[in-house]
Amino acid sequence: MNAWRLILVHRGAAGVLALLALTASLLVAGLPRSFEQAYDEALTVRLDEVSAQQTDLTVSLRPNMMDDQIASPAGFADLDADWRGNLPPLLRTAVQAGGTSHFSAKTYGTPVMGRIGSPAKARQYVDIAWVSGIEDRVRYVAGRPPGPPRTLAEVPGHPELKNIPYFEIGLVADAEQRMALPIGTKVLLANSYTVVAEVVGLFEPVDPEDRFWEHNEGIRQVLERRLPDDNLEYYATGLVPAEGLRFLDSRRELTYNWVLGLNPASVNARNAPTLIEEIEDFRRYVTSQGGQESYGPARLGNARFDLVTGLDPLLTGYLTELRSAQTLVFLIIGGLVVVAIGVIALAVHLFSERMRGSLGLARARGASLAQVTATGTAATALAAVPGALAGYGLSFLIPGPVTPVVHLAPLALALAAVGFAAVRLALAHRRPLTDSRADLVAAKPSPRRVAAEVLVIVLALAGAYALRSRGLSTDVAERGADPFLALVPAALTLAGALITLRCYPLPLRLVLRLAARRRGAVPFLGVTLAARSRGATSLPVLILLPALAVSVFGALVSGAIGETQRLAAWQHVGAQARVERAAEIPADVAAKVAALPGVTAVVPAAKGTVQLATGGQTATVLAIDLDAYRSLVAGSPLAVPAAPTGPGIPALVSKSFVVYPSFEIGWHTRMKINNVGDVTELPGLAYPGNLIVMPYEGPKLAGLRTYTNMLLISGNVGREALEAAVGLEDAVVETFDESLGRISSAPLTGTITTGFTVVTVAMGGYALIAVVLALVIGAADRSKTLSFLRTLGLSQRQARLLTVLEVAPLIVLTSLAGLAIGLGLPAALGPGLDLSAYAGIAVTDFPLTFTTPALLAAGLAAVSILGALAHATAGRRMTTAIRVGESS
Amino acid sequence: MTALSDLEARAAASRPAFGEHAHILCDNLVRIYKTEGVEVVALQGLDLLIEKGELIAIVGASGSGKSTLLNVLSGLDVPTAGLARVAGMDLLSMTARDRLRYRRSVVGFIWQQTARNLLPYLTGRENVLLPMRLAGRRAQRQRADELLELLGVADCAGRRPGELSGGQQQRVAIAVALANGPEVILADEPTGELDSDTSEEVFGALRQANRELGVTAVIVTHDPLVSEQVDRTVGIRDGRTSSETLRRTSEDGDVIAEEYAVLDRVGRLQLPRDFMNALEMERRVRLELERDHIGVWPATPGEENND
Repeated sequence: MNAWRLILVHRGAAGVLALLALTASLLVAGLPRSFEQAYDEALTVRLDEVSAQQTDLTVSLRPNMMDDQIASPAGFADLDADWRGNLPPLLRTAVQAGGTSHFSAKTYGTPVMGRIGSPAKARQYVDIAWVSGIEDRVRYVAGRPPGPPRTLAEVPGHPELKNIPYFEIGLVADAEQRMALPIGTKVLLANSYTVVAEVVGLFEPVDPEDRFWEHNEGIRQVLERRLPDDNLEYYATGLVPAEGLRFLDSRRELTYNWVLGLNPASVNARNAPTLIEEIEDFRRYVTSQGGQESYGPARLGNARFDLVTGLDPLLTGYLTELRSAQTLVFLIIGGLVVVAIGVIALAVHLFSERMRGSLGLARARGASLAQVTATGTAATALAAVPGALAGYGLSFLIPGPVTPVVHLAPLALALAAVGFAAVRLALAHRRPLTDSRADLVAAKPSPRRVAAEVLVIVLALAGAYALRSRGLSTDVAERGADPFLALVPAALTLAGALITLRCYPLPLRLVLRLAARRRGAVPFLGVTLAARSRGATSLPVLILLPALAVSVFGALVSGAIGETQRLAAWQHVGAQARVERAAEIPADVAAKVAALPGVTAVVPAAKGTVQLATGGQTATVLAIDLDAYRSLVAGSPLAVPAAPTGPGIPALVSKSFVVYPSFEIGWHTRMKINNVGDVTELPGLAYPGNLIVMPYEGPKLAGLRTYTNMLLISGNVGREALEAAVGLEDAVVETFDESLGRISSAPLTGTITTGFTVVTVAMGGYALIAVVLALVIGAADRSKTLSFLRTLGLSQRQARLLTVLEVAPLIVLTSLAGLAIGLGLPAALGPGLDLSAYAGIAVTDFPLTFTTPALLAAGLAAVSILGALAHATAGRRMTTAIRVGESS
Repeated sequence: MTALSDLEARAAASRPAFGEHAHILCDNLVRIYKTEGVEVVALQGLDLLIEKGELIAIVGASGSGKSTLLNVLSGLDVPTAGLARVAGMDLLSMTARDRLRYRRSVVGFIWQQTARNLLPYLTGRENVLLPMRLAGRRAQRQRADELLELLGVADCAGRRPGELSGGQQQRVAIAVALANGPEVILADEPTGELDSDTSEEVFGALRQANRELGVTAVIVTHDPLVSEQVDRTVGIRDGRTSSETLRRTSEDGDVIAEEYAVLDRVGRLQLPRDFMNALEMERRVRLELERDHIGVWPATPGEENND
């Protein structure tokens, strides 16, 4: 007996097995890879989104004693080497030598107190900075690079200034225009310990996109700040060469920074938790340096070092999001693995059925059980293992990091296939002649099996209870995921499958009673066959059910995420589009917007911040026609309160103002407000908090006129069109579509949605294969029955119908059970599943949407039944003559 | 007083047991199939003795238990009670290992379906070599070829079952059954699917194996062609041996067949059903011991009424 020969003889079944092993192994090895990749991409996006200042580690020091001063680049380099040398191991690999890494000494907030030889300009600040390696990052477009500083004995026009430092500085070219600082300008800096700086060169950054500049924003460009009186302050930073360090002493507002640049590529989902810990360790190390008693590497008397980075909170936030993503992925991959193993088991079943004849004969002719089992198992392994290996190999084409599950999952699949084959063959051939009395009724399930099934169901229910009360990802960060709870969804599905298997004859009996009354024999026969079918038909139940449960669950989760994203987008914008401006929006702009093609309605509103005359609290005040606004957002999830009505200026107010029946506010003028009701929030229009909503005509009622600084727009109109129509630079334009796009394009959200889609499609495929395989396994028996019935006058069409009717009840019942379990899973997982990270706001509940799940269930059932029909139509002809006396 | 030692000695003393020297012995053999409360008694106290080197046929109606008996004898099925011994091996007390050895070297068998006897993807010779290989012996090509030669299918050695006629397949199957030199060969309707000419060939092959190799052969058959050519035909009815037909060749060359009823060890006898019908015998009969025979009479009506 040769295993290879068995493969050759039964190449069809072996091929199916190999193909299934291949696809399953590809899916279970490849999907985690792509998910891990997506996690990492999400992290990269996050790291890219924020400035280098947040992601890099910056050790900073504010020297305030002479002892702390570092006068040469070598001093900086020594400390830099020390910081790097004392980084924890993983962090050391994550921090790169080049990139954004550098060290610098900068003054901050140094006012220009005057100019030499030209009139002074108000509200200007020029700081002085030395930054390591900046020579290569700037290009002087005018003048020359600054030279070493010197001491100026006297300053013309300022007799009080004697022997003061004189710096040559290079400024960004922009400063020449915006701050009127052309080459040759000499400025007096700081009110005390004044220095002179002369602009000798103007530069521009070699690569403005270099993340290096994010640490040195003030060098790259002139910064401006709007003062309360609407004037602008200007800030520029002048570069000095290393020699300038001697003059940059602790009498100035000075900071030293050692930037340890992060290599974003070295941070991933897997090492992020360790990195967070190591950052904390490093922070402890850094802050413990310096101080009087320190003889540590810093050796700076009173220095108080600080580690400035936003990396650890960033990573913590990311990990929170990741955890719920991983929970979801665990569920869907777990479901896929269960289904894949089920389908592979079915293929192994088919293969072992095909080998049964040969192995049975060999067993009868003197093969030991070990010989038969070994040969059959070897044949199965020869088919399944190369398939699984090929799938495993192919999975390396899918980009993504390799995690243990990538190796383990295909191994588990292969082992499951081989193990199932071994057990099945051993059981089937334990006795050499098991089919001696096939005419006897089937055995009842053993009490042991019933007990095992009850145990599974009880465990699943207990697990669901524990899961609801404790949550799936509670304390995961501290204690790690609970494997028992993580298995609960699978156990619930399995329990559902077992209950379905045990109970499906009951509804069938009802159907049977109906079918028996009808005239046609085919429905009765079909349902009878369905009720009698056992064994191989139970496996498709175990496959269809988890497939559907996971798909429905996925649809629900996607639906919940989608709905909440829409809600979040509505809440962000407050209408389909919103134009807002600090100053007033002219009436002609509003008219232009209303005339735009696609715009169906425009509601003007006014918004301001006011102080209450009584109590002195500040509040946001909105003047808006709430009735018009309500009809504007009709059909959206936004709820708009009823418009305030009443004498005077009626208004809705927040809880904190409800106690005042009426109060005065100063908005455009002093006006008296009558409190006629309360309002909690108007999302998108105002931040939650102290809120006063009055009619749009409120200011007019107060004796002024109506104001407009916000336009709420409904209709299909793009951002560009709106911006063009508004034509005001300082107007903020928000559209619902853009906001939704921004929320839903978050990388992890995309991953989850794609993952669910891929898995749902794969599950559908597997369900189809499962039904066809089950039919092929039972084909011999069925064709015997059918050929007997055909001799009694059954037509080919009726035979096809009979086959479909035989599997249809089970498929329909299983679909219903799968649908129920899928709909119940969110409830079972309950608070364990936190989707808020994907929706922008908290996902409060899973809306039970029936459309998609029902469509999925119906689709899967239809696909499976179509598979049965295809098998019945394209399968072998069922007209083989009955051979009299044949017993097998 | 009988001492315990006497009892022990008596128990240990070998008495000539029933069929002690028979090659195949079945004594009060019972086989019950039981599933979910339904019991099918396939063999209900069957007795059978077959001498070494005998060629016998077992006949009986469908469902009479012939196939069950053959499965028990071939070691594929385990009897529920009674005694079954083949070539000195007790079939009831065998361990799984003994049973395997038994199937490997003591019995060989042939099924009715020609296709079921042979692996379709092996050639005739490979099929014959298979039992040798399974038994862990070195494949003896020469012995396989000799067996095929003996059974007149030497030309089928290199061909697959699909390329052989039904008769050829069954003869190759006999060669397979003989591969490990068994002492007993069991055939379950070996000619059931064949026409009469081919049946003749196959039966001839079986008889040849019986004569030339000295193998005890038991053939379950419906085929009168077979049952009328063996020395002894055992009839089975309702799970018991009911009759035996012995054939001998008279001095003038005619075959004389004599049918006997089987008398078991406790004196039970099955009367042929047509005898009973002819005399309307029912429920009870009257027996009378004569000098050289026992007379059986139907109960008279008067006696019936006294009941």
